Amino acid sequence: MAAMKFYCDAERCIECNGCVTACKNENEVPWGVNRRRVVTIKDGEPGERSLSVACMHCSDAPCAAVCPVDCFYTTDDGIVLHDKDICIGCGYCFYACPFGAPQFPSDGAFASRGKMDKCTFCAGGPLEDNSSEEYRKYGANRIAEGKLPACAEMCATKALLAGDSDMVSDIYRKRVVNRASAALGSGYQQRQTNFGPKGGMSGKVTN
Amino acid sequence: MRMTTTRAGQGRKIIKWVVATVFLVLVLPLVPYVFDAYANKSPEPASSSSVPSPGAELWRAVRQRDGIVSGTTQARGVDAGTLINPAGEEWRDYRISKLIPYSAYIFGAVLAVFLIYYLVRGRIRIKDGRSGVLIPRFTLFARWVHWVGAVTFMILAFTGLVLLYGKWVLIPILGPEGFGVTASVGKWLHDVTSPLFIVALIFMIFTFLKESLINFKVDGMWFLRAGGYLGGKHPSAEKVNAGQKLWYWAVALGGLAIVASGLVMYFPNFEQGRQLIQDSHMIHTLASVFVISFMIVHIYLASFGVEGALECMTTGYCDSNWAKEHHDLWYEEMEKEGKVGATFEEQRVAAATASAKPSEG
Repeated sequence: MAAMKFYCDAERCIECNGCVTACKNENEVPWGVNRRRVVTIKDGEPGERSLSVACMHCSDAPCAAVCPVDCFYTTDDGIVLHDKDICIGCGYCFYACPFGAPQFPSDGAFASRGKMDKCTFCAGGPLEDNSSEEYRKYGANRIAEGKLPACAEMCATKALLAGDSDMVSDIYRKRVVNRASAALGSGYQQRQTNFGPKGGMSGKVTN
Repeated sequence: MRMTTTRAGQGRKIIKWVVATVFLVLVLPLVPYVFDAYANKSPEPASSSSVPSPGAELWRAVRQRDGIVSGTTQARGVDAGTLINPAGEEWRDYRISKLIPYSAYIFGAVLAVFLIYYLVRGRIRIKDGRSGVLIPRFTLFARWVHWVGAVTFMILAFTGLVLLYGKWVLIPILGPEGFGVTASVGKWLHDVTSPLFIVALIFMIFTFLKESLINFKVDGMWFLRAGGYLGGKHPSAEKVNAGQKLWYWAVALGGLAIVASGLVMYFPNFEQGRQLIQDSHMIHTLASVFVISFMIVHIYLASFGVEGALECMTTGYCDSNWAKEHHDLWYEEMEKEGKVGATFEEQRVAAATASAKPSEG
């Protein structure tokens, strides 16, 4: 069984917020809701790194565990989705989630919480695939169309990876191997690791 | 003589050579080690110095190993700069594996104790029967305050418990969609009733304060005798007994804790962080479990448990025999003031004439 996962490569993310824009555009998320955000650690200092973060579609999702109305479910692809017709906007998932993924549009007096909204891995919700009602409540359903989430497809530096966890980890593993071998030495040795200027693409690892 | 010295000299020579050979064989091979140890006093493993691990430091910060680190972000939202919130898992553990099971055990135990008590002892009757002589006990105002507080608290407790146990108790019955509607209405009710409860709580605190001040001599004795459950004879009590005073302070202090922590959760528009809300939720639930368990005790004793108790809060009057039995010190006081057998109307008239007389004279 496939398990869909996001992975953000901190060595590649350039904090362009392209993923955030792509997400907002694709899903028409309401104001005040950030399904995806880019956080920069040590901004302006040596060792600065950026990471794009959204719902990580946990296998043992804390949001689902604490939800008092049990509105969460996991699809066959391992995507954690929720039913907005059941959600009561209590905010418990927001307290339990390590990633700050659940978002609440303010609804009524004192900005009380409306129905929770979060990243769906561009897989819509429990309603009929690609129906207008599904789009209105949950945003796009690209998975049903055989596409990956818009954020990852948009990522210019291929920092944000999305897809089956085996493939994502395979891509990332190759990157790590290349980086480690590149860092072993410098100059001549670095050229040996296919990172330096070298004619042609042959022998170059695909990523 | 000379020969012996030569022989001795040869012997020494041989010994010298043997020692030297042994020295060379045993010690010389160690020289490189000693040299190595001194030469590389602070050895730097080539791999770790030339291959920096950019991940290690980053992930330490991301996982908040050294305390909460907030990054910068373009997103506007509560705690948006925090990549990973480690407190979330603690809160999940508190709610799922501690609060829900243990609160259920506590409520179950309190209910079981009183059910067994009721089955064994039955209803506590007025010993000498009703005398038919009434004593005014709670004014209309006090009764209103009591019942508004009681009804709002019951609504809040019930809707709160629905949210706490509904997933395990009501979803199997109503299904997730049906329970979604119930919980939605429950949350709305909880939100609308809470401001009323705050007002009622403040009124309750002031209305019943005077009679609930602790009298250590009388109330201490009441506790030592466990309110008459031990030692047969009913211990002395003032207008309210020590158990009722304890209930008053549980409502007053527990209620204030519930209200204060509830207000933190009530207004997300102030953008308070998750940590504060989690702490408030913990206080809110602990205080609620405490007050609700006490409420079960209060409801039982004030309705089924003790004959003649409920009417004090409905009609405002109590029977004089009931007062003699349960609140003897208060009965004596009422008798002295001539209030036994009087009505609120008569009291009011008497008070009015008493205050009017000096002006007449």
